[in-house]
Amino acid sequence: MGASQCSQTHPQKYKQYEDFADRTGFSLEQINNLHKRFRQLSDNTETISRENLENIPALANNPLRKQIIGAFFDKRNQHEEEVGSIQEIGFQQFLMVMSHFRPPGLKMTEEEKEAMRKEKLRFLFNMHDTDNDGTITVDEYRKVVEELMSNNDIGQEAAKAIADAAMLEVASINMPHMGPDDFYEGITFEHFEQILKGLEMESRMNVRFLDVDTSTMRCGKGK
Amino acid sequence: MEDLWSMALQGLKIWLYLLVAFIMAPAMFGFSLGISEVYMSILVKTLEWATLKIQKASRDETTLKESASNGLIQRNDSSLEKEFEELRRSRPKPPVGGDFTLSDCFYFYRGGIESIVDDEVTQRFTSEELVLWNLLTRTNNHFQYISAKLTLVYGLGVIVRYCILAPLRITLATIGLTWLVIGTSAVGLLPDWRIKYWLSEWVHVMCYRICARGLSATIHYHNKENRPKKGGICVANHTSPIDIVILCNDGCYAMVGQIHGGLMGVVQRAMVRSCPHVWFERAEMKDRHLVAKRLRDHVSDKTKLPILIFPEGTCVNNTSVMMFKKGSFELGGPIYPVAIKYDPKFGDAFWNSSKYSMVQYLLRMMTSWALVLNVWYLPAMHQQEGENAVQFANRVKAAIATQGGLVDLQWDGGLKRGKVKDSFKEQQQKQFSSMVVGDDSSNSD
Repeated sequence: MGASQCSQTHPQKYKQYEDFADRTGFSLEQINNLHKRFRQLSDNTETISRENLENIPALANNPLRKQIIGAFFDKRNQHEEEVGSIQEIGFQQFLMVMSHFRPPGLKMTEEEKEAMRKEKLRFLFNMHDTDNDGTITVDEYRKVVEELMSNNDIGQEAAKAIADAAMLEVASINMPHMGPDDFYEGITFEHFEQILKGLEMESRMNVRFLDVDTSTMRCGKGK
Repeated sequence: MEDLWSMALQGLKIWLYLLVAFIMAPAMFGFSLGISEVYMSILVKTLEWATLKIQKASRDETTLKESASNGLIQRNDSSLEKEFEELRRSRPKPPVGGDFTLSDCFYFYRGGIESIVDDEVTQRFTSEELVLWNLLTRTNNHFQYISAKLTLVYGLGVIVRYCILAPLRITLATIGLTWLVIGTSAVGLLPDWRIKYWLSEWVHVMCYRICARGLSATIHYHNKENRPKKGGICVANHTSPIDIVILCNDGCYAMVGQIHGGLMGVVQRAMVRSCPHVWFERAEMKDRHLVAKRLRDHVSDKTKLPILIFPEGTCVNNTSVMMFKKGSFELGGPIYPVAIKYDPKFGDAFWNSSKYSMVQYLLRMMTSWALVLNVWYLPAMHQQEGENAVQFANRVKAAIATQGGLVDLQWDGGLKRGKVKDSFKEQQQKQFSSMVVGDDSSNSD
């Protein structure tokens, strides 16, 4: 497929890519392409900072860009046991975050698919749980709603009302025996999974990475 | 020692005579000796051979797999509304009113990641990736040793480019510029007879032709009957400062720009003596109304040369056309669009101003093989009834993009240096919020 090409041109890069491929599940071509993109975004340096991502014009239109950019710099998404946020990321961390958006492979067992789904849900959960206390509180939820709507149009009270209604819905699904005066702490990861149980994640949380390596294309003889 | 000097002087004299005979004279009088055509065909054959060598070495199955853009992902082309209908349908209806849940955010998360992986704008400000290799290391990122023969040819190419072509071109460029300054100043001294205009046009075109030879530019002009006429405005897509030399090779235009100091300033001041160009002082450029007024006056005078304007405002890498600024389309004259497309096989003409300074860029140009490009003159366009300047600008832009085979983008070229305007960001927010709140109000009881 072209893996041999890669190994011929840069043998030590190939070793590194193999390592990444094992960890993240991307193919070697995809890693090569993503590396080129990384260099484009990072202005040919070794790390990407938040500004590099904020400078992407198409991303600027996205109301949830702060959460998305934050996810790249969040240590929880690196599958190590650390928490906190970092200022700049290298290519490996970039790949780790991207790997959450891989579609499930055709040859995956049910268990692997379940595990992948849980991983994606965990990623989403981390994006909302900004203070990392294990729950999404009303305030954190409301913040997301506010970002999504433009403040001019509906005002802060309406955003609060929508957030409260949604939280109520979650509470009623997960803790049906709660009394009217009980305080609902926040959405835990289990509740989160419960809410999104029926939702088909496979087509929503996926980016279809292509396998084609654009730089090694050559013209054939004739057209 | 003496002999050496006299020999060197003799050599220099012969060199200059040859130059004048073979290059300058044709340039001055506008005919061609056919040398450049021979050069081109040899070049093309060599490049094809080099590419085949590389292919054989890497043992690829070669089929033409060219992609128009460097696509890394395959996107879903559904709009905000469609995705939301699907999302809403696929989850159970909530018992309590309120139609918003966390799953609504999925559309944006995925879109955000897709933008980070591959966006339309960032890739327009780096040089185009080539499918062939044109024996210049600067365009091949994976240069490595393949065979002795190939390296030999490449080495020969380096010698030819740097030791033969570059000095030749630098000499020509210097001659061209000097002649421009002298010639225009001389014409400026003449009183205002008819012959003055004719002479000034001739001097301008001649000097630009010499400069074009100085870059080994082979230009194919198409549809010459649509060439811009006096009292009009010529708009073109912008790839590098050389565009000016290219266009002025085939006609005389009035330039618009800021007065610089130094060598550029001398050239500018000389040019304005023989025919009216529109040069602004730095302070005047900030005053939009003043600029517009001067341009309007120039355009409405039908005896003055057509103005040359690049509405993108910045250099783009010649794979796409970015947003046209509406200022030039409000001036009232007829617009003559021109599409310029460089052939990347022979040299990369894009000026990445953040990477290279002007001098570095010119040196790069002079040490590439050649510059081959196509210029299409499009028929004149006028602003129609009920069309505002922005729509008119977009119409012209679409015409230029279609003719030149470039991608027509809505993005602003100024994004090279700045950020997206807040008004664009809020659009998506408004759309989404009207969907959620609109549903809410219909659902609440």
